[in-house]
Amino acid sequence: MQSRFYLSLLLISSLVLLTFVAIATYSALTPEWKQYQTEYKDFLIKNAKDEATRERAEKIDIGIQQIYLTSMKKADRCTSCHRGVENPLMANAEQPHRQHSGNYLENHPVAKFGCTICHRGQGQAMNLREAHGEEHTHWDFPIMPIKYIQSSCALCHDFEMLKHEGGGHVAKGEEFFRGKGCRGCHKLNGVGGDLGKALDGIGSRARAYFPMKHVVGDRTIYNWVKQHFDDPRQIVPESEMRAFLTGEESDLLTTYVLTFTSEQMPRNYMLIKNIVMPRTDGESLYKMYCIACHSDGKASIYDEILKRTIPAIMNPSFLKAIDDNYLKKILKEGRQGTQMTAWKVDAAGLTEQEIDRIIEYIAKDRPAAKTEPFDVAKFKADVKRGEELFNIRCALCHGKKGEGDLGLNLKNPVVQAADPAFLAVTVRDGRAGTPMPPFGKDGVGLIEQDIADIVSYVKTLSQKKL
Amino acid sequence: MSNGNRNEEGVSRRDFLGLAAFGAAILASLGALAGSLRFVKSNVYSEESKKFKIGKIENFPIGTTRSIDGKSVFIFSDDNGLFAISAVCTHLGCIVYPTEAGFQCPCHGSKYNQDGKVIGGPAPRPLEWFEISQEVDGTLFVDAGKAVPNGTKYIFA
Amino acid sequence: MNDMNDIKQTGLAKYIENLKSLKSSFANSFLRSGIPTSDKSRTAVVVNNFFLHLHGAKTHINTLRPSYTLGLGLISFFLLVIVFISGGFLMVYYSPSIGTAFNAVKDINFVVFGGKLMRNVHKWSGEAMIIFVLLHMARVVYTSSYKRGREFNWVIGIMLLVLTFVINLTGYMLPWDQLSYWALVIVSNIAAAPKELTDIFGITQYFDIGGATKEILLGGTEPGQDSLTRVYLLHIILLPLGICIALGVHFWRIRKDGGLSKPDTLVGKGSGVASISPPDKTGGIFPTHKTYGLMELARGRTPAVDNDVENTVTSWPHLFIAEVAVFILTLAGVIAYSYFIDAPLKEFANPAIPENPAKAPWYFLGLQELVSYSAFMGGQGLPGLAIAGLLLIPYLDREPEHFGIWFSNKQGKMVALESFVIGSIAVIGALVFVVNFGWFRNWWPNIHQLWIIAINPGNLLLGFVVAYSLYVIKRTGSTRMGAISLFTMFLVSYVILTYTGTVLRGPNWEFFWSSSQWPVH
Repeated sequence: MQSRFYLSLLLISSLVLLTFVAIATYSALTPEWKQYQTEYKDFLIKNAKDEATRERAEKIDIGIQQIYLTSMKKADRCTSCHRGVENPLMANAEQPHRQHSGNYLENHPVAKFGCTICHRGQGQAMNLREAHGEEHTHWDFPIMPIKYIQSSCALCHDFEMLKHEGGGHVAKGEEFFRGKGCRGCHKLNGVGGDLGKALDGIGSRARAYFPMKHVVGDRTIYNWVKQHFDDPRQIVPESEMRAFLTGEESDLLTTYVLTFTSEQMPRNYMLIKNIVMPRTDGESLYKMYCIACHSDGKASIYDEILKRTIPAIMNPSFLKAIDDNYLKKILKEGRQGTQMTAWKVDAAGLTEQEIDRIIEYIAKDRPAAKTEPFDVAKFKADVKRGEELFNIRCALCHGKKGEGDLGLNLKNPVVQAADPAFLAVTVRDGRAGTPMPPFGKDGVGLIEQDIADIVSYVKTLSQKKL
Repeated sequence: MSNGNRNEEGVSRRDFLGLAAFGAAILASLGALAGSLRFVKSNVYSEESKKFKIGKIENFPIGTTRSIDGKSVFIFSDDNGLFAISAVCTHLGCIVYPTEAGFQCPCHGSKYNQDGKVIGGPAPRPLEWFEISQEVDGTLFVDAGKAVPNGTKYIFA
Repeated sequence: MNDMNDIKQTGLAKYIENLKSLKSSFANSFLRSGIPTSDKSRTAVVVNNFFLHLHGAKTHINTLRPSYTLGLGLISFFLLVIVFISGGFLMVYYSPSIGTAFNAVKDINFVVFGGKLMRNVHKWSGEAMIIFVLLHMARVVYTSSYKRGREFNWVIGIMLLVLTFVINLTGYMLPWDQLSYWALVIVSNIAAAPKELTDIFGITQYFDIGGATKEILLGGTEPGQDSLTRVYLLHIILLPLGICIALGVHFWRIRKDGGLSKPDTLVGKGSGVASISPPDKTGGIFPTHKTYGLMELARGRTPAVDNDVENTVTSWPHLFIAEVAVFILTLAGVIAYSYFIDAPLKEFANPAIPENPAKAPWYFLGLQELVSYSAFMGGQGLPGLAIAGLLLIPYLDREPEHFGIWFSNKQGKMVALESFVIGSIAVIGALVFVVNFGWFRNWWPNIHQLWIIAINPGNLLLGFVVAYSLYVIKRTGSTRMGAISLFTMFLVSYVILTYTGTVLRGPNWEFFWSSSQWPVH
């Protein structure tokens, strides 16, 4: 009476189901970590020096190991494979069984800190690939290469302490960061220039935030940051970033930059020994905000990337021609049409006091002798004559229409907005340290009337088309 | 399925098929069910480990009484060795506090003597004693998940 | 006094007697009858059992023909059962909070015994339901089973299809990974799509139905904790409840309509039915003559009232063996598939970084292909029209002939084949055109959106499908042929558009022959 068809179907389906239930059970019972733990246990039993150690080793029960950090609601299961991490007997063993190097765990017991606070990676995962957060495992925070590991120290410690107590790399990186003018272009905590991206939280950004197309090797943020320091345009072709460090030095800066995370450690993990106020003398501020573009400020440089001549702001003859008030105006408001940022407090975020200190530092080499003033208004300027003179005397360097060649582009808004007296003084006295000669000097042959005519012509250049 | 016992040839073969099919189906379903029930039992808990370190033996000179922060365990050291007694009342799980006589539970008035033996109140059993072991490097740790017979004291070198 | 004692004694004796027979009396009360040995008791088993009495006591042998139903409806139902059970298990560990949901899913994958398999089973059986519900619909259409009182059951079936889509979609949101987040963003904006229309008429500020729907769905203006809470509520309570109720009615109506559809005269007897033994006409409660009983008191059809009692067998055991076999088959298939293929889980939701391509779950990618012209038409207008079209099939084709016969007749087969070919050509042609030449916005960047809402490839395709099926009706003189043509083209469009959206569209919704050609980010 039964239907053979359905009974056969039932039989076959049941056998298939049974098979897969069995396979699934088997694979659930034989995970990767179990193999490592068995190895660990066997190793300890085999190499036990005395009976007591052997007995203890035999008592090791194999099972998922987990460190649960209540204050962070974080479960680190790394010790399921790395069971020997606290065991001195495993000092020379192969990974994953090796004991943690150094004496870090003395002050950072695994039971309190777990592993991923310092090493990152995916603490919840139970297999190597996903725990280490390799590519295509969809984990934003892959395990951190050891050479950058000190960036994690700065989550809880101050740099003064790190400098002396085992955090030398990240402390050195911090010094680089302060001395290379990074914040001239990058904001951090709201202070810094706008040319580059703000750096807040960059160390804990998701992988997908970074354009990984040109990264060599693993597509991790560690490799991105490092390789971007080594050669910014290799990683981001349209980048305007200047890079000063390569090799081991850029490793140190990378280590520091990775400390810019958005997470806040719970208070019971923090250990700040020294409250070091940031240095705010003029020189430190100059190095923090200005040096990346202006370098030592002694000579003007044509910058290939920015496509612009960067003025020599600490050049005595420049300083002679420009007073503190005018400098302060430039610093506060920036230079429209150039990369010079407006540094006032509601723009790039420097206080009045800090700007004053920078100016004090920049102007420290201002010659004592005051520039002889040039009262342009006294002369009745003739633009036409100015043009003739310009073509003879200036066009060679500044171009027929003032578009700039060896000399500055005179059509740019900075020149056009400048005080005519400042321009006249520059023409008369030249600019030491640059190819600009002093035209008012005896023998070169421009009288004050000529200079006034030229300045009046220069002021009309912005309307001229090329 | 035992209904089709008509006097036909091949009936037994069909019966065998039915028996095999339903047998396999029941077996497979029971397997799947067992796996599903095992699924419900957690392999890990979102809580701190029951095992915790208490430091080296030097920190526990004879006569020491110490309660460990947030762990509900008292550690004692006397002439006969080191021992750990649970601070969890065996009545309904409140935390006992030490007194002159031993321990006192604030919830329903259970009293224990210094060995954790019940001397009053509704508690049905003495306080649990826990295993203390030693890591290879000599660090002591308590396993508050592993009870040992009351009176077990440990001597460590 | 003696009397009292006797009574007491007999009372106690009775009590002890009852105690002794507790085992058998409990079993009897539970089972009501033992393993049945006669047709009478076989019937009793079905009638007396809560779960079994949904079936008739007797089943028409056509119902048991594997080649008639292909078991599609039953498989859909069993998938639902598997989804419910596995979903219940997953709820043991899941918690619907954006801070813990992702970790909970990770833990299910990593440390729960069989957790990954359970999650895969839940995911894949849910998505398989979409396929099998569609196939079940196809079976119903091609066998004309939406007729003769079953019109409204077809409507309920469409409701179940929509519920299946939505419950799958809400489940997609729960892991709170990148896929969840960006699918939720897309879906909430499709919900807001009527804005496109209200904007054109300038009435958005008075009547913003799109914006209101979006805000009600999300509990805010962008996805967050409240959205997850709402989606979870939909996924575990409202939609399952809706499905259970609709399914209850669906089954009940099948019974009231006299079981599954079947041809008026069973053709092919002896071929398709070879596996079914002839009915047992001896010793049953149904003698060889027809029976009319209490069923006459209520209107409606039952198998017994039907005109061929000769072709029925007792449901116990024939139907139940078939059902158990299909259940185990379904379970085995789902577990085998789940063992090999893992359900996706991407990075934790990150509102700053959209997935590229930000794809909806695959079953909506046909629509995504359409929304790339107009969010309103693609996301609401066209699906709405398609569903309306499907709903109308039983009301616009009322020809009673060929009930319960695959493709009705030879002409039906031809129409189905021809619609399949022409539908494929039309869809592929439209896709080739837009991939190569773009659409209005590419030609006239400033064109008014109203033009695109009115004229876009999706609308044209829909128009073509409707026009072609009307042409088929005119040519063949049969509304039945029109229904076959319309449904075939609907199915073909859905499949091809879904395939294109899933496989052939890459970053920035550009066309790629395979995902291996996608540019590296």
